[in-house]
Amino acid sequence: MPEFLMESSFWISVLQIIAIDILLGGDNAVVIALACRKLPPKQRSQGIAWGVAGAILLRVVLIFFALQLLALPFLKVVGGLLLLWIGVKLLQPEDDDGHANVHGGTTLFGAIKTIIVADAVMSLDNVIAVAGAAKGDLNLVIFGIVVSIPIIVWGSKLVLRLMDRFPMVITGGAALLGWIAGGMIVSDVVVQPYLEGAPSWLHYLTAAAGAVLVVVIGRLLAAGRGRAEEPPLVDLAAGESSTSNH
Amino acid sequence: MLKILVPVDGSAFGEKAIAHVLKLHRQSAQIEVHLLNVQIPVESGHVRMFVEHDTLEDYYREEGFAALEGARAALDAAGVPCQVHIAVGHVADTILRYAEEKGFDKIVMGTHGRTGLMQVLLGSIAEEVLQHSSVPVTLVK
Repeated sequence: MPEFLMESSFWISVLQIIAIDILLGGDNAVVIALACRKLPPKQRSQGIAWGVAGAILLRVVLIFFALQLLALPFLKVVGGLLLLWIGVKLLQPEDDDGHANVHGGTTLFGAIKTIIVADAVMSLDNVIAVAGAAKGDLNLVIFGIVVSIPIIVWGSKLVLRLMDRFPMVITGGAALLGWIAGGMIVSDVVVQPYLEGAPSWLHYLTAAAGAVLVVVIGRLLAAGRGRAEEPPLVDLAAGESSTSNH
Repeated sequence: MLKILVPVDGSAFGEKAIAHVLKLHRQSAQIEVHLLNVQIPVESGHVRMFVEHDTLEDYYREEGFAALEGARAALDAAGVPCQVHIAVGHVADTILRYAEEKGFDKIVMGTHGRTGLMQVLLGSIAEEVLQHSSVPVTLVK
């Protein structure tokens, strides 16, 4: 058995990566499925297949770029700060502005283009988080990509339901991103010399500080811009007759 | 007329509620049956950025009608008229708001239709409704 399989830190990273993939990967599937809805049925499955293939390829390319970049001075600090922001954003209620400015289109090419552009945007936070959790371990990076594939392909209605039932899942996810961010910042090549000789628990302390920071700031911001009033109930089945035979 | 709200999600869990509604209807034809399916929003900020509003609504509508189909067919077959509704939102909250804002007299829900993991995750929607509802709730097991 390879040595890395014996270490508990390896398995903790594995769990973190699975959680990140589930939390940040679910909406990829939704975009892929919805972007292809207006296509004729035959092209629809083609669009989904190409979209998924493109999404996976893009993710592989992005993550290898991310790994190279994170070795550079200061970039782990930048990456960590970005992750803190992503975590805070996760806790904000959805606002209603910012509706589709990219159109799905009714052609196969149009749909695939939408999927690829969307995936480039959506993969970014996933890639930074996975790179952070993997701590440069290539096995873990590859594992992260492999785990995200079924989530992209089949989506995760179960995850949506889980979040609907237990909103605490989202808070937990945001805290996890903060935890990874905290650890990432102190492992930057520029920061590390200053921590020479610091006790080993310092890493956990900053990680915990990151988690707390994300949840506290996220909660405060969310409370500040909390919904003034609930949106009205909309009946999407309005106008449907009652006793018609379907 | 007794206005009855029957939340259905397309699972066996709704069938029991429908069976109960049919029983109520046999006892008294003075009931008005409304089926409600609640779709969980799939739109994160990202999805909104890339998917048009209409496409999303079509999607919810399609999923909603698919979930309502079985219950509606069962009522149709028994000759019980019903109205169908599809809403989008947090499931338990939306059921509660629907019942209160639209002046329902009663909510009839099935429970324990699922097993294993699904039960753990979803089974307690009925319990959540029961706990917070100001409208009388009948849980059918």
